[in-house]
Amino acid sequence: MAQLSDTDTDESAPVVDELRNEIVARLRADLGDAVVDVHQVPQVDLWVRVTPESWRSAGEALRAQGFDYFCFLSAMDWMPSPFGDGENDPTEEVEEDPAASEIRQGYTGGDTRFQMLARVTDTRRHVSVTLKADLPQHDDGTMSIESWIPVYAGANWHERETHEMFGISFDGHPDLRNMYLPGDFEGYPLRKDFPLLARLVKPWPGIVDVEPMPASDDDEGDDS
Amino acid sequence: MTMLSERQQMSYIASQAADARLNVELETEGMTLNIGPQHPATHGTLRIIARLDGEQVVWAEPSAGYMHRGYEKLTEVRTFPQVTALINRIDWLGSFANEVPFILAAEQLMDIEAPPRAQHIRTILFELSRIANVSLFLGDLGVQMGAVTPVFMAFRDREYVLNLIEGATGGRFHPNFDRIGGLKDDLPKGWLDETRQVMKKLRNFCDEIEDLLFGNEIFQSRTRGIGVIPADVARQYGLSGANLRASGVDWDLRRDQSLPLAYDKVDFRVWTHPDGDSWARCWIRLQEVREATKIVDQLIETLPPGPVMTKVPRIIKVPEGEAWVSTENPLGEMGYYVVSKGDLGPFRVKIRSASFNNISITPWVLKGVYVPDIITILASLYFILGDIDR
Amino acid sequence: MGLVDRGRLPAPLTKLFNIGRSYSMWVYQWGLACCAIEMGAAFGSPRYDVMRLGVIPLPASPRQADLVVVSGTVTDKMAPAVKRLYEQMPEPKYVISMGSCANCGGPYWDSYSVTKGVDQIVPVDVYVPGCPPRPEALLEGVVLLQQRIKHEDMGARWRGEGFKPIVRESEPIVVGGGPIE
Repeated sequence: MAQLSDTDTDESAPVVDELRNEIVARLRADLGDAVVDVHQVPQVDLWVRVTPESWRSAGEALRAQGFDYFCFLSAMDWMPSPFGDGENDPTEEVEEDPAASEIRQGYTGGDTRFQMLARVTDTRRHVSVTLKADLPQHDDGTMSIESWIPVYAGANWHERETHEMFGISFDGHPDLRNMYLPGDFEGYPLRKDFPLLARLVKPWPGIVDVEPMPASDDDEGDDS
Repeated sequence: MTMLSERQQMSYIASQAADARLNVELETEGMTLNIGPQHPATHGTLRIIARLDGEQVVWAEPSAGYMHRGYEKLTEVRTFPQVTALINRIDWLGSFANEVPFILAAEQLMDIEAPPRAQHIRTILFELSRIANVSLFLGDLGVQMGAVTPVFMAFRDREYVLNLIEGATGGRFHPNFDRIGGLKDDLPKGWLDETRQVMKKLRNFCDEIEDLLFGNEIFQSRTRGIGVIPADVARQYGLSGANLRASGVDWDLRRDQSLPLAYDKVDFRVWTHPDGDSWARCWIRLQEVREATKIVDQLIETLPPGPVMTKVPRIIKVPEGEAWVSTENPLGEMGYYVVSKGDLGPFRVKIRSASFNNISITPWVLKGVYVPDIITILASLYFILGDIDR
Repeated sequence: MGLVDRGRLPAPLTKLFNIGRSYSMWVYQWGLACCAIEMGAAFGSPRYDVMRLGVIPLPASPRQADLVVVSGTVTDKMAPAVKRLYEQMPEPKYVISMGSCANCGGPYWDSYSVTKGVDQIVPVDVYVPGCPPRPEALLEGVVLLQQRIKHEDMGARWRGEGFKPIVRESEPIVVGGGPIE
């Protein structure tokens, strides 16, 4: 897990982004092995993955570097949706494709289904960093990570939202009430295995240019 | 913040007193006041729960979510062109501006770029949505303080801008005009001349509002020194747009990042204000409408010829990758974190909307203010419900 | 008006009352989403000027309103408030549902948090389609509602039977959209 790879930055040798290289170097100096992986698109953007234990200290290190503008905080569910991409009829039998249900993390890799995602900006140097961290599930299926409120006060509402949408709890958050949904709402909507009931009840007529009219398509859907 | 006005000092003392009262728990009985969800003063369906001590707010918390429509989930079951139609409706006053960052993110993933003419027209329409959005704010500002006339003026002059947007895109409110790789259409004949005329009218509108509202003594005493947000607090909460610049932070994404839009070809000023109070926020927005009209004027003069659409496949599949693009929308920084897995639709879209961050500061800023000031502070922070709840 | 309560109002008098009612409607603006701005343009702007239709868009509370325009997305969290607002209005009361979201869920037809149509909560008299409808469309909806009120049997409304036309074969109302009901 704690493999240090500089390959991404080295490959992009033709365009040297000194500003972002310096940021990464300072982060590594501050956090040591806690920086798991770095992905850089020179002159465009920077992704850094840290260990879950160092989530808050990574925030503190970035803040000390001048990243004092809090952009957003959220999470990712990397599991492919079991209900297809929305264009298929969800009531149809999907042929089993092991590659389709494989969890593939994006930039900077990862080991867990859920990942934290946050972005902070330095308004003086005009540069931003997207921070990621793995989110290991506890034995009972819950997940928790340190709260960012002491570092960025604005993280309060973002963490409430993330808790509501993904079911991730934040240690040290004073008030993880639901923000959007009624109190008796069940499930975590942004998890990929949360079904959109309206789509299950009334299948989407399908991708564009279907010849039979949507009404007749619906009838077929009911029969099958 | 060189000199503290008397009102600022008073508000500081008041907030300290409110803190002290919370800590000591005097025997006065508090009162909980519920404003909203539907209330003429809340601009939509935001509900504010405030605990009062006399006329003073001891603790206040907005309760959002009455407009939560589940955008981030819905984007996962739609194709890229369908998402464009949906995200128009996040910030419904400046709807074209919502499309641009998402389209730019998709283009960044596909590694294509719109032709120069399309970039120009995008920028023009972007600024027109800013005018349509913020001019309504300027009118609405009066209503929040009991003056009804400015809103009629705002609706009058906003119609001209909506007509322009409708003339170019076919949609008065939700254009859905932006495509991956360019624009749906070129501008119609005679549109540029009309735009020049309308920009003059809009500048007149700004002058009128400035005389009528900003020069008004009641307006000044209701806003000056009220709801002061210092720069470091503003940055911590992620305030953006005019709210951040009113706190003295010189940060404008139009100028400070290089995107394939035409902002590098125009000359415009980014206004900042050192005070960070309600008045500063309103004043910055007024100046922004003026700057926007100037930007549109300059872009019309330098509109390059050429096509408005590059070659893109008929069925768009965006390659695997992650991209973040944010733009300086009328309300502040609006960004999309788009994750694609090479399918027809995005795998996940994290929508960073400006109002969500802007309004998350309210528990901090409302502490210690008087009840009537709640309304002016919220009005000056300027939020749109769809932009908070998404 | 004992006659009205007992539902035995002579037809000419009903017509007279109906004309009076249809041109003195107080509208409560229940603005929820994008449509609220277009409703504001229709009701509050000098260009569209709804007051020329005999509609006053300024009641201070739903208790003084005859008509409510539900404009915009009704979410499941908001639905109880909509219901409660409707219950607070005095009879006879009318509802215009403005925009696709209020009609049927609109672009959020598959969302987990949106009520698929305000008619699941309160009875709706006139649906105005569009996303959002232009202000003119809302004005047409108001005109259609006025036509409907003119043909209404007030007695039936007072007896709690809802809308019933006074003429058995009510002549079709053709204002753009053709007959309603």
